[in-house]
Amino acid sequence: MKMRKPSKGRVSNVVLKNAKFWNGSSFEHRREVCLNACKNVETTEFDCKGALVMPALFGLGLDFMEPLRDDVYTFFDGFAAMHKGGFYGGLYESAANPIDDADKFTAMVNRFKSEEFGESEFDIKFLGAYSKGFGTDSLAEMVELAEAGVAGFGDGNGVIPHSRFIRLAMEYGKMTGKRFFFQPMDKTLRHSGCVHEGAYSDMLGMKGIPRIAETIAAYTILEMARFLQVPVHFKQVTCGETLELVRNARKNNIDVTCDVGLYHLLLDDSCLETLDSAYHILPPIRSAADREALWQGIADGTVDAISMNHTPVLRQDTVVNFEDSVPGALSLEVALPSIWNKLVKRVGEARAIELLSTAPARLAGSAPTIDNVVVFAPDRPHVVVEGDFAGHVCNSPLLGKTLPSSILATYINSVWTEL
Amino acid sequence: MSALEIKHLFGLRGVSKHDIRLILDHAKQFREILERPVKKVPSLRGMTVVNLFFENSTRTRTSFELAEKRLSADTVNFTSSNSSVKKGETLVDTLRNIEAMKIDIVVVRHKGTGVPKFLADNSNAIIVNAGDGAHEHPTQALLDMLTVEEKLGTLEGKNVTIIGDIRHSRVARSNLWGMSTMGAHVTLCGPSTLVPRNTDLMNHVTWEPDVKKAVENADAIIALRLQKERMDDALLPSMREYRNTFGITEELLECAKDKVIIMHPGPINRGVELDSDIADGEHSVILDQVTNGVAVRMAVLFLLAGGRNNENA
Repeated sequence: MKMRKPSKGRVSNVVLKNAKFWNGSSFEHRREVCLNACKNVETTEFDCKGALVMPALFGLGLDFMEPLRDDVYTFFDGFAAMHKGGFYGGLYESAANPIDDADKFTAMVNRFKSEEFGESEFDIKFLGAYSKGFGTDSLAEMVELAEAGVAGFGDGNGVIPHSRFIRLAMEYGKMTGKRFFFQPMDKTLRHSGCVHEGAYSDMLGMKGIPRIAETIAAYTILEMARFLQVPVHFKQVTCGETLELVRNARKNNIDVTCDVGLYHLLLDDSCLETLDSAYHILPPIRSAADREALWQGIADGTVDAISMNHTPVLRQDTVVNFEDSVPGALSLEVALPSIWNKLVKRVGEARAIELLSTAPARLAGSAPTIDNVVVFAPDRPHVVVEGDFAGHVCNSPLLGKTLPSSILATYINSVWTEL
Repeated sequence: MSALEIKHLFGLRGVSKHDIRLILDHAKQFREILERPVKKVPSLRGMTVVNLFFENSTRTRTSFELAEKRLSADTVNFTSSNSSVKKGETLVDTLRNIEAMKIDIVVVRHKGTGVPKFLADNSNAIIVNAGDGAHEHPTQALLDMLTVEEKLGTLEGKNVTIIGDIRHSRVARSNLWGMSTMGAHVTLCGPSTLVPRNTDLMNHVTWEPDVKKAVENADAIIALRLQKERMDDALLPSMREYRNTFGITEELLECAKDKVIIMHPGPINRGVELDSDIADGEHSVILDQVTNGVAVRMAVLFLLAGGRNNENA
């Protein structure tokens, strides 16, 4: 187990030389770009050698585990991961620490902006819980949460509760005008499944989660959204059938947005053959055909954004057999190098930046800033090692793999970090 | 002596015909030894085998233990019910502690798919899978194959039908890989809630929903044990309906070949998947399977240990 590493970043003005700078519609070569933090700090010069300088990213699906699971991960770890991965902000929703009243929201915001983190200026938006403790006994104080500033209401990535409770939550939450964020998953159809129900799960004798566990839940939520006229968002859609529901819903003027998970675009269920618990991710990684359907959704605009679903898991919870392992994967540090080239090839640079930066920010109600950038070499391969990850966990299926690209440096909130 | 290509026995998917042939041929020799007054050979003298059973087992564990003792190995039995696993010890810690006691071979049964491979990735011991979840139970399939060869002369071109709860059966999965590799035509049949929903990666075998059609050309029929929990999970309405629809009965056998052999991995639910008359009748080779189980496990342990010894030399 590796120890927590000190941050390499420092507050600095930056002069980037020989960079291809994103001008809002394309990359253009510039001899020099100056990014200024403030007057009283040193200036760092960095020769980009033709690398891309692009807007920093905005991460959907952040959970840094504090305070209840700070044995796993901390805000400090999360911020370090954001620096390493080039994220200037994100939408935070913790399954372990539901924000179900205004006091918890205030405490969380204060914690994020505490001196311990150098008065962090990361642009973090929060999802409130629509129920107390993500349970089904009572509603959360959604009106007060909305007034306090939550970006929307979420389910903690749990299975959807019974339909009546969802109806009541959305009916009440409608008063706030906020969007409801669901990871559509029917509890009974998921049952005890842990992987995609398909050819590989059946061959390996593993308990599967069928696509209909997602589509039936999604359909239920869309019907609620249509009936109640409440905006909804689907987190980490995994299959084409759900995207088809989204397309049809939009045709019927239902306000629905959706994202897909990073690893759902990178992997398919053939990875199960390795029986490696690193691939234990929920919602499950589905078939190659499903992955292609997600890419189609990316291309035709059905998918609004790419989600990180950054989920730290302790080493002892991953060094077990697949079915007994705790699901989840880190993604902030490896997202851009792993997905950029694929995205550009399929949808071009502008849409790639939109999916990773502007669109997720828009969903969370954040305004992008121009001074946060990532210096990125798309053609410089990088082997992922434990040291690439912040904190003392390194659960990622990309560990040990060679990524096609590398992040050379990030400039986030005036902190310059060379990698 | 030719050596096995495999270093561990995780399952039969991907195991070569050469390796299966080698195991079956050695098992035949050990089968003869088992008929002798003195049934012990010194092949594994000085080696220690741990039987690491995280699931209940009587016959498989006993069979392995006997095989180990017949080969003169020192054996230790470890069951999760009376171990530190109950106190929260992780699987890998359990293995490492046992390994620190200088053991050579681990025979493992666990509810989780892939546990044998996981243990092999995290230890230096030879790992033998005695059943992992619904994934594989390779020694059961090997003893089934040995029994078919013993009774029918060869597996090549024979029709083997497996009936019952295929979806949850590690025996069925190992058999469909192993028997196919050895040239048998495998047909699988069961209620629609108890067969795999997606057979794309298992399309080298025949999936037949009609039990009468499934048995009509069979040279061997393997009836799988039906677990009573399946009723609670609403996968079946009743034992009675299952018996009447998929049970091996005299009436069903009228559709089969005269000399068909009936097999079962045990323990049998008499009157459910297999009628008593059939289980004890002329077609049944179930007790031969049990004897062959010891011989096959002796062959597996002998050959895997031999491979390691050759490597060390």
